[in-house]
Amino acid sequence: MQKNGPVALIFHVLVLTFVLAPLVIICLVAFTPENTLSLPTTGLSLRWFEAVFAHPDFMASFWNSIWLATFSATLAVAFAVPAGLAISRYTFPGRDFLNALFLSPLIIPHLVLGVAFLRLFALIGATGSFAWLVATHTIIVTPYVLRLVLAALSGLDRSAEQAARTLGAGEWTTFRRITAPMILPGITGGWLLAFINSFDELTMSIFVTSPATVTLPVRMYMYATESIDPMMAAVSALMIAITAAAMLVLDRAFGLDRILVGQR
Amino acid sequence: MAFLTLERVSKEFGTFTAVRDVNLTIDKGEFVSLLGPSGCGKTTTLQMIAGLVEPTQGRISLDGHDITHEKPNRRGLGVVFQSYALFPHMTVAQNVAFGLEMRRVPQAERTERVREALSLVQLSSFADRYPRQLSGGQRQRVAIARALVIAPPVLLLDEPLSNLDAKLREEMQFELRRIQRKVGTTTIMVTHDQAEALSISDRVVVMEDGRMTQVDAPYRLYEQPSNTFISSFVGKTNLLAGTWRRSGAEIGGVLLEASAPEIAAGTPVTLSIRPEKLLLRDAGAGRLDGRVASRFFLGSQWLFTVETSLGTMTVTIPNQGEEPPAEGSPVSLDWSPANLRVIADTAAAA
Ligand SMILES: Nc1ncnc2c1ncn2[C@@H]1O[C@H](COP(=O)(O)OP(=O)(O)O)[C@@H](O)[C@H]1O
Ligand SMILES: [Mg+2]
Repeated sequence: MQKNGPVALIFHVLVLTFVLAPLVIICLVAFTPENTLSLPTTGLSLRWFEAVFAHPDFMASFWNSIWLATFSATLAVAFAVPAGLAISRYTFPGRDFLNALFLSPLIIPHLVLGVAFLRLFALIGATGSFAWLVATHTIIVTPYVLRLVLAALSGLDRSAEQAARTLGAGEWTTFRRITAPMILPGITGGWLLAFINSFDELTMSIFVTSPATVTLPVRMYMYATESIDPMMAAVSALMIAITAAAMLVLDRAFGLDRILVGQR
Repeated sequence: MAFLTLERVSKEFGTFTAVRDVNLTIDKGEFVSLLGPSGCGKTTTLQMIAGLVEPTQGRISLDGHDITHEKPNRRGLGVVFQSYALFPHMTVAQNVAFGLEMRRVPQAERTERVREALSLVQLSSFADRYPRQLSGGQRQRVAIARALVIAPPVLLLDEPLSNLDAKLREEMQFELRRIQRKVGTTTIMVTHDQAEALSISDRVVVMEDGRMTQVDAPYRLYEQPSNTFISSFVGKTNLLAGTWRRSGAEIGGVLLEASAPEIAAGTPVTLSIRPEKLLLRDAGAGRLDGRVASRFFLGSQWLFTVETSLGTMTVTIPNQGEEPPAEGSPVSLDWSPANLRVIADTAAAA
């Protein structure tokens, strides 16, 4: 790796400070004993965290978001693995189209998707259903899984699969015993990335959630438009902690640079 | 008795013909090498036998059964891939056991057969390692054990030694031959290394541009190459282009005595003579005079290049403990006419 010169180093430090400062400040504010959004100068307090855990709406939204992210990441894996296998291994009519279709949610603004789904749900009478919310999140997180699965497949030594075939394994057994374990890092990484993206998603969710299925980011948004108190900071700190934990697992297991930059 | 037969087998990739009209019969217990330069279709041929590539034309049969369209998992052949293709997420023992597991061999018997296979390739103490913890030579032996443990009727090896360094490669050549002799499995090995093919095979199949051009025992292949490509690809040789006359070949106005029964006078021919078949004599005492251009000491032999009126000739002579002629000295080349190989020019004959 190339060493950075002093100018580049200063630049990087400035960028990092700019990016991290708000996160650090919001986390500090979460521990304030005051009633206003202020840095804890007189002492540290957990009262705002207690307030969050005692707030039924926030807790309901938190669990709602966790389940939503779990289901949509899992469904995304279920779609992306077969799609990735088909796209990377076979040439068939519509292959490029399929690839583009699966990756398109990355390009279309979530605002547009939100409005579109809102109309669609109104038309088919699906407004307010948790299942349909899962469907929309699955659509927006599938591209992340697909990208990682494709990268894993492109780096895969096909001869191991061929060896399994010659040793007597059928196609399904070969997939289950050889291919799947070999691309497991890609699949797991994709699942975690999908989970984080679903858990953080706000723009589209504003349109497609109903009072019964409000996600945590939407709940925060609604709360913040009415009142600003340190409880928001506490919720933010919790979200940062969960996301950071997931990222840490990702990095430990597979290397973040590999996942985010792509293996190709 | 013919055990494995390829009849007029061809493989086309789009408009490109990778393997053309291959006919080959292999007996039970034979060790056959497919020899040829890179890209000549060796791997494709091997993979058609393994069932990993479907032939465009032709028929492959094993022990009397047509297996041309049989799936690879139903053929039961042992394959060792060039990259070894070990399963990275399984231990050595699990790798070797995989084929037995697929055959639903009971656990106790499986353990015993894995143990035997690993001891055959002298890896008994590595059973619990993962492939990434092994050296190249050890991985290669795991791949062989994994292919042999299923007791396949035929063992297919794709350049099994090409990833090893020179010394290890030589050891593994003997090792391969030892294992094959002991187990008696019919074996086909792909290689681009002529020395390797000559040293361990019963028969060598030479391939050029997707075609089989000669099938012979190593000694016959070396002594009687059927074309100029083979004569220079298999070992070193001196090639002299000329015209066939009744009692020999005319090369640059000189008639060299040689015998070749079925060639019409006037046909363009190439003469091939191996460096070790040329003898170095005092000037004037041999058949062709020249001058030593360079001289290299190789330990057991001396390698000479000699300038003659017919061109530069390469000569090797054994080291007999005496200093041979120095660079620049006049010498004469001699040979036995029986060692001159006459090859009819295929390009002109066609
Ligand atoms: N799947 C394929 N598609 C197109 N061409 C191929 C394919 N496999 C091999 N070839 C071509 O066929 C020729 C023979 O390949 P191969 O059998 O691998 O040669 P070798 O093993 O003798 O080096 C090469 O020119 C190669 O490019
Ligand atoms: Mg090859």
